Amino acid sequence: MIVGIPKGLLYYKYNPFLQTFFSELGAEVITSEDTNKKILNEGIKYSVDEACLPIKVFHGHVFSLRDKSDIIVIPRIMQVKKREYICPKFCGLPEMIINSIPDMPKTITEPIYAISKRKLYNWAENAGSIITKDKSKIKKAFNRALIEQKGYDSGIKDENYRLNIALVGHPYNIYDDFINMNIVKKLNKLGIGVITEECLSEDLINKEVDDLYKRPFWTFARNSYGFASHISKEKQVNGIIYISSFACGIDSVVVELIKDKIDEFPFMILKIDEHTGEAGLDTRVEAFADMLERSC
Amino acid sequence: MHYLGVDVGSVSTNIVLLDEEMDVVEKIYLRTKGSPIKAVQDGFKILKANYNDMKIGGVGTTGSGRHIASTLIGADAVKNEITAHAVAALEIDKDVKTIIEIGGQDSKIIILRNGVVSDFGMNTVCAAGTGSFIDRQAERLDIPIEEFGDYALESNTTVRIAGRCAVFAESDMIHKQQLGYNKSDIIRGLCDALVRNYLNNIGKGKEIIPKIFFQGGVAANRGIKKAFENALGYEVFVPEHYNVMGSIGAAIIGRESAEKLGMTKFKGLNLAESKFTSTSFECNDCTNRCEVVKINENNNDIGCFGDRCGKWSHKIAI
Repeated sequence: MIVGIPKGLLYYKYNPFLQTFFSELGAEVITSEDTNKKILNEGIKYSVDEACLPIKVFHGHVFSLRDKSDIIVIPRIMQVKKREYICPKFCGLPEMIINSIPDMPKTITEPIYAISKRKLYNWAENAGSIITKDKSKIKKAFNRALIEQKGYDSGIKDENYRLNIALVGHPYNIYDDFINMNIVKKLNKLGIGVITEECLSEDLINKEVDDLYKRPFWTFARNSYGFASHISKEKQVNGIIYISSFACGIDSVVVELIKDKIDEFPFMILKIDEHTGEAGLDTRVEAFADMLERSC
Repeated sequence: MHYLGVDVGSVSTNIVLLDEEMDVVEKIYLRTKGSPIKAVQDGFKILKANYNDMKIGGVGTTGSGRHIASTLIGADAVKNEITAHAVAALEIDKDVKTIIEIGGQDSKIIILRNGVVSDFGMNTVCAAGTGSFIDRQAERLDIPIEEFGDYALESNTTVRIAGRCAVFAESDMIHKQQLGYNKSDIIRGLCDALVRNYLNNIGKGKEIIPKIFFQGGVAANRGIKKAFENALGYEVFVPEHYNVMGSIGAAIIGRESAEKLGMTKFKGLNLAESKFTSTSFECNDCTNRCEVVKINENNNDIGCFGDRCGKWSHKIAI
């Protein structure tokens, strides 16, 4: 049985878990290629027009796996933290795809509530039973997958740069180099080091969030806000760059919260969509680098 | 010694020649018309005819076509537009605190404090309210772009136009025009709408305090300048060389780089006679499928752009 895992959205965060779980069940796991022009084009062709770029790109990844897989995993991630949610497009992602891409193979779309080991195991039991009926095998695969995930660190923490910036935003915009036009490499080339939210402990993020007048509704908004707030206060970086996909509703809120909190601290938003011409992004990044260079 | 600044923008290509005192000796403002190479060549033709014997001590390029321009002419510095505009404004007046810059496709705000850029903003994916949109509306109303702003000044009352989006603005203008409002009131409404959009979008959360400079091609539009003054309640200054400020900044930065290096990389004014061709192809070596552009001068490849990995752009020594 060939299980396809699309390399889009939260793949960058939870790939070790999914990969290990299905391999341990005895399936042959394949992932799509890194995002590229073909995947982008197919994604735009099949996705509904109103969706954001990362969702469209995910469609492209699924399409590229369609004819190679017996079954495709479309993670319907509902929650990764108690009393918090993630973007609503994730709950409807399987429906969006199944109704947009013709001739889809079987899919695994069980909702994922990753808020406790027990809740997550519910998912593993349901999803695993599609591959095997052997419950002990599912349990073993689940435990192995959890260990792999725990040992995985997706964060970026550059050292030995004179100037540093915090790169903030949804993980799929930060870690997909095609979507963000290789921003990390571009910044490094300009002599700027990059730090991402994974380098900050959960406690420190929570401490910042406690000051808000209400709990944030979205997990990734909470991370972005807490990280930006802490790192600007402690002056651990010289500036903050926020990568936001065009028309993202969550970003529109969190960006304002961050701006309000950090006051005069150097901050820039980069809006990304399906552009492949890099001149606009280059100009902004270079100007930001110049500004930091001249004022630090 | 003289210094050259080249700003290859989406709508116009501007070239300036500065003297030792950083005063403008010559400025050339040409339409890019989709061919940046030809625009630069046309500019150099004019330079060669008048300043063939002049010694050039440093060259800088800026604008969205700055890399291609640098490949063609051999630049000492390749700088983004924000820095170039800020440097030029500060050269003219050390007290500038805010720069409003509206060009063909970009609009920017640059906040300066104590002579350095302390913050800036640029339009995001939307180009509503920039020069090319105004250009298009002028064409549609059959008014020469040079006179467009003056129409707004003739108006006594403003007609409200939606400024959030270029498509909305255009349909709103057409609806108002079909109801019989006169052109100058509609144009004034458009100027107000563009300023409103600029201040709500790019200027949001920025501390706009005098002295305020208004530069870029759109600063020629007196209607927009007036609308800014009304909205902000401050006087807005349009510097003498408002439409070539980017190239002035580039020339100043080019001079600094050349002096640091002790020489210039400038290839000379003969560029006008060279034959340039550009070809593009899709590189199939990996799944990125980059669209690579190759620039050829007199049968020699002089530069490549557009590849992500740098395989092509690094191959040819510029």
